Amino acid sequence: MTEYAAQDHDPLALESELPSSPMTVNLGPSHPAMHGTVRLVLTLDGETIVEAVPEIGFLHRGFSKSSENSTWTQVLPYTDRLNYVSPYLNNVAYVMGVEKLIGLKVPERAEYIRVLTGEISRITDHLTCIGAIGLELGAFTVFLYAIEARELLWDRIAELSGARVTVSWMRVGGCANDIPPGWVEKLVECLPRVLELTDEIDVLLTRNRIFVDRTRGIGVIGGDEAIDWGFTGPCLRACGVNYDVRKAHPYSVYDRIDFEVPLGSNGDTYDRYVLRLEEIRQSHRIIQQCLEQMPPGPIIVDDWRYALPPKKDVFSSIEGVMAHFKLIMEGIQVPPGEIYAYCEGANGELGFHIVSNGKGKPYAIQVRAPGFPILSGLPRLIKGHMVADIIPIFDSINMIGGEVEQ
Amino acid sequence: MAQSLIDLLRETHPDAIVSTPGHRGDEVVVVRREQLVDVCRFLKEDPRTDLKLLAQIAGVDLLTYATEATGGGALASIEVPAYDLERKRPVEPRYQVAYNLGSVVKKHRLRLRLELRSDDMKIPTVTGIWRTADWWERYIYDMFGVEFVGHPNLTRIMMYPEFQGFPLRKDYPVRKRQPLVPELDFPDLVRGPGPGPGGAGVPMSQTHVGRANVDPDAYD
Repeated sequence: MTEYAAQDHDPLALESELPSSPMTVNLGPSHPAMHGTVRLVLTLDGETIVEAVPEIGFLHRGFSKSSENSTWTQVLPYTDRLNYVSPYLNNVAYVMGVEKLIGLKVPERAEYIRVLTGEISRITDHLTCIGAIGLELGAFTVFLYAIEARELLWDRIAELSGARVTVSWMRVGGCANDIPPGWVEKLVECLPRVLELTDEIDVLLTRNRIFVDRTRGIGVIGGDEAIDWGFTGPCLRACGVNYDVRKAHPYSVYDRIDFEVPLGSNGDTYDRYVLRLEEIRQSHRIIQQCLEQMPPGPIIVDDWRYALPPKKDVFSSIEGVMAHFKLIMEGIQVPPGEIYAYCEGANGELGFHIVSNGKGKPYAIQVRAPGFPILSGLPRLIKGHMVADIIPIFDSINMIGGEVEQ
Repeated sequence: MAQSLIDLLRETHPDAIVSTPGHRGDEVVVVRREQLVDVCRFLKEDPRTDLKLLAQIAGVDLLTYATEATGGGALASIEVPAYDLERKRPVEPRYQVAYNLGSVVKKHRLRLRLELRSDDMKIPTVTGIWRTADWWERYIYDMFGVEFVGHPNLTRIMMYPEFQGFPLRKDYPVRKRQPLVPELDFPDLVRGPGPGPGGAGVPMSQTHVGRANVDPDAYD
């Protein structure tokens, strides 16, 4: 800093030598490449990153505090907004937690619907990530392809739940309503197009010299170190660690479904990208098996302590009215206890630590967002690289501002 | 599988375990604070336990936990606003901190729990064992005011530095307002070379861009 003082009012200052001391640069919080609002305080030596400090909290909305003051069902919209590119998965992780506290068994059809919608969400999440990597490395076509595929699926989601992004469609004990007639045919119709677009992206990027040079060997992390940083999901599997909650702790009906967990080997940006591409194909396999195996039947438990009674009963019987009233006004009476429920979110292990004291509201609820530990490890990934490498690395970890900053 | 984890811990660290209140298939071990670091290091490094993944650190404030359902007696079911401290009976130990651990190889899970009295809210840090503990401990500090002794950078993570109070404590009202933070001067910013306000080397706060030189009446 003192070098500048010597050149005070020097008209030739512009031509003087560049300072050799490290420079501090703020990347974000409002920067088009900082998805959400994350601020990175970078210390640069020339263009090399010496130090990086991520700063979060600009988007903090008090998820935990708001949830503690809502009934168990009212928390659902908050969970949508944690990860708005794969809202179904967040819904499922939360209701799984509440069901674990109650000890509730969900009807088989609802389990299949959860897996089905969850895998659609996983595809949309991965497409968003891949599209963003492409966009920010200059491959605009990839972005458009990814968004076209994502919109196709979001249209299906909208037909199912009425909302593209904030679905709030799961319920404790099942889901809000059954799949509408004709929806499965529409889904089957659009899935080949999604795969086709995925293949197009594959062809455009995977062997593209520019893309490979920008991503291979960039942001490398080893498996043991990644676990130490709390990485899960694609970021961990890119290092070759075979850990997928769907296989390690099969929940819902994942034990009946045949799919593979793709693994990387280098743990770099390129592996994380390829892995997501492969996971889209695996999710497609899961969706197809769900459609084949899905049995007919109820989609929500027939227990009026936890699920709203059918409207016919509400309007024609006193028991129905009472159950409806108590569920809406007092909330579900969840037995006291403390649990940690987790499932495989699109970016890793998505968990909810829930405490109940037997009332209609969660006593304490805290989310284990997969992006939170991954973002805390971002300095480790980008240190020593160039400024331009931040963008692909940051894209490949697919941090979602909503869940990290709650 | 998880039961054998607890048995193993009973053998190796018999003094550390207070109780094992498992619930709904989750295995929980309440450990003494003094032995937390020892237990954590053992759980992470022993090949039999291999709990290398610290999934989450969560906190609970038990101030308003008591209800009829949780054995708090009939009085507890009367709704008293959380912030009405005079009418609340003090609960001790008031805070719980839970460490959700997992193993990616052995595929088992364990939760460690610490119980803290509100007059002594200090926990030894585990950042030396799991690096991911860094942010989680900052989060618990930010939300509950638990001090992690030995943490390299124990600052607020979600809230801003001037935030008053700890938002996830039960005596923090939901709708509480925070005082406005005065606009900060930025004396550490120094203009780079080249023409411009103040010239090179002048702190930004002394230029017309800086707040200090702005005449407050000029905005009327």
